[in-house]
Amino acid sequence: MTTPALEERFQTLVGEHKRIIYKVCNSYCRNRDDREDLAQEIIVQLWRSFATFDERCQFSTWMYRIALNVAISFFRRESTRTRHVLSDEEHLLKAIDERSSYAEDAQVLYQMIGALEPLNRALVLLYFDGHSYSEMAQVLGITETNVATKISRLKQEIRQGLGGSTRVLRRD
Amino acid sequence: MMDLDEMKQRWTEHDRKLDQSIRLNQQLLTATNLNRARSALQRLTLFLSLGAVVWLAIVVALGNFIYQHVPGWRLALPAVLSGLFAIAMLAVTVAQITRIRQIDYGKPVAIIQRHLGGLRVLRIRTVQWGLLAGTVVWAPFLMVVAEAFFGVEDLSAPWFWAWLWANVAFGLSLVPLALWLSKKFSDRMEQFPFVQRLMHDIAGRSLNEATNFLGAVTAFERE
Repeated sequence: MTTPALEERFQTLVGEHKRIIYKVCNSYCRNRDDREDLAQEIIVQLWRSFATFDERCQFSTWMYRIALNVAISFFRRESTRTRHVLSDEEHLLKAIDERSSYAEDAQVLYQMIGALEPLNRALVLLYFDGHSYSEMAQVLGITETNVATKISRLKQEIRQGLGGSTRVLRRD
Repeated sequence: MMDLDEMKQRWTEHDRKLDQSIRLNQQLLTATNLNRARSALQRLTLFLSLGAVVWLAIVVALGNFIYQHVPGWRLALPAVLSGLFAIAMLAVTVAQITRIRQIDYGKPVAIIQRHLGGLRVLRIRTVQWGLLAGTVVWAPFLMVVAEAFFGVEDLSAPWFWAWLWANVAFGLSLVPLALWLSKKFSDRMEQFPFVQRLMHDIAGRSLNEATNFLGAVTAFERE
């Protein structure tokens, strides 16, 4: 595939799945500048790996793997201040109305996800997005049984209340 | 309180509305813009590559020095010790670059995070051991520098040994001082992320955090 054709294909696919980037960025970053930086880093990484993308695989699964890997690394990086921050006009991925009622509802969900450890966040994101246990196992690199156990444990812990130092909660 | 499946339902609703409410800046998605942008790992690779070039230059220079002074062990021996240190630093730098090049973000999360965790542990240990061994290698390296740049060949001169011991004492005193300063002041260095990261590396905090994360990845895979 020629570079312009590849670029067009990339833009179309990323455009179709932009929600994944939005959700991953909102789940791993609290402030807007960090979200913009993370979105940029995810897209750069997607572009760099795009030439090796196997068309037989689902694009969303591949995109989730890259987005989650970049997001977890980004989240764990200690210093975020020295990174390039896009200007106000340069927003890569922007919600048009972040103050709507549904956005408030979503904020509650993101807060719940934000209370989890980075690896469990990935698990919950995939579960919420309706992926099968088999797909989740493929993205995360664990067994289906393991996915089922973790989801069941998570349900139980949420039922018991999110407070306290449960095993899935973040420790920082 | 909502349960997980109720949350999932609300999430589906959120997801449905997202398509209309988010805008992707297509202009920033062009190959020109994306090729110009540097990811964090690329910046690290660039930094490590520069380090590798410097270490290689030092190894070559020391090799040349050893070749010129090989009959006289008094100067060749310190150069060999310094050379071994430089070769070790070059090797771990190349090992880090190789590990970065092996990273494929398209692979499963647990595999990549374990790989990245291992890379981080290697980087922190390199900083720690590099600094510790550096204080020991400091003395023989000074002997080489003294001859190469100032032409001090007579190592029996009393002033030379006084100067050398003063430098060794200074180098050794840096170890506890750096440890104490790092433990005491690293939290206050938020304005200087690079310095703070270095202090966390020296104090051992980064290593603890990195090994804890590796433990968390292993537990995530096993449970």
